[in-house]
Amino acid sequence: MSAILELLSLLARLITAGVFLFAAYDKVWDPANFAASVATYDMLPLWAVHAVSVSLAWLEMLVGTLLLLGLLTRAAALWACALLVFFTGLMIYAGITGAGFDCGCFPGGGEAAAHQAGFETAIRDIIFLVPATFTVLRPGRWLRLGGDRA
Amino acid sequence: MNPIPELKRQLKPMALILACALGLGWLFNLVMPQGLGWLPPAVSHPLWQPIARDQALAQIKNGAMLIDARPAGDYAQARVRGALKLPQDEIAKLYPLMQPLIAQAPTVVVYGQTTSRFPAATVAQHLRAQGHAQVFVVEGCLETLEQSGFPIQRPRRGAAS
Repeated sequence: MSAILELLSLLARLITAGVFLFAAYDKVWDPANFAASVATYDMLPLWAVHAVSVSLAWLEMLVGTLLLLGLLTRAAALWACALLVFFTGLMIYAGITGAGFDCGCFPGGGEAAAHQAGFETAIRDIIFLVPATFTVLRPGRWLRLGGDRA
Repeated sequence: MNPIPELKRQLKPMALILACALGLGWLFNLVMPQGLGWLPPAVSHPLWQPIARDQALAQIKNGAMLIDARPAGDYAQARVRGALKLPQDEIAKLYPLMQPLIAQAPTVVVYGQTTSRFPAATVAQHLRAQGHAQVFVVEGCLETLEQSGFPIQRPRRGAAS
């Protein structure tokens, strides 16, 4: 039973890490493009767009890396949950206001609007919340560089 | 796991993660060529001149060309009467076509600004870089311009272009 839970914990942690690393890679290497995506939401003043978009990209990258390595796992998973809750709220807002633009969440967006901001994207983020929450509740011990004294 | 004390215990490592993310982002921006400044270059180092709304209106009455730098969809819904469409994201494609027309105007006034975006600044910067001498940017969104007396045109559905 314990081995099954450990396996589930490992899977949940690696899935969350994979989601965040995949999402962050393009944002970190092409900050101008991500800043343009952030600006599309028109929620931040102009002077805050670059600072927030760069910080958000690196936060996602760091959370993904820490989860992959199993360092500060519970804190990183809490950040993952917080970010996913925020993104879910943002997508619901975008769905209500009828925004027809790309959400800027993952690579492959742009004009094609492969991941259009709205209710479908909110559901996707809620699904991502499941493994992230599981990691918070049970970080596990397998393949981790650091412990949480959980 | 008792959630409240555990959450309190995680606040420090969470703050550490945030601080590291901010530090890495700042360092990356400083070192890497694709790093961003605090503001877009068209805003932090403008080649264009800002102009007050009443002065912009006077310039337009005196023959200045008015350019709408907002996305094409916004232009189709409403624009200042007589404004030419030159969206920021289509400038590379449209500018060569419009260049002879813009070159005839003694003065150009560009508008288009939202909370997070300032396409008018980018378009005006491009025009200045292409050698247009008198390029002004009038700040504010379309509603602000309307309140300041700019005549707004709202084409009927299907008639916009």
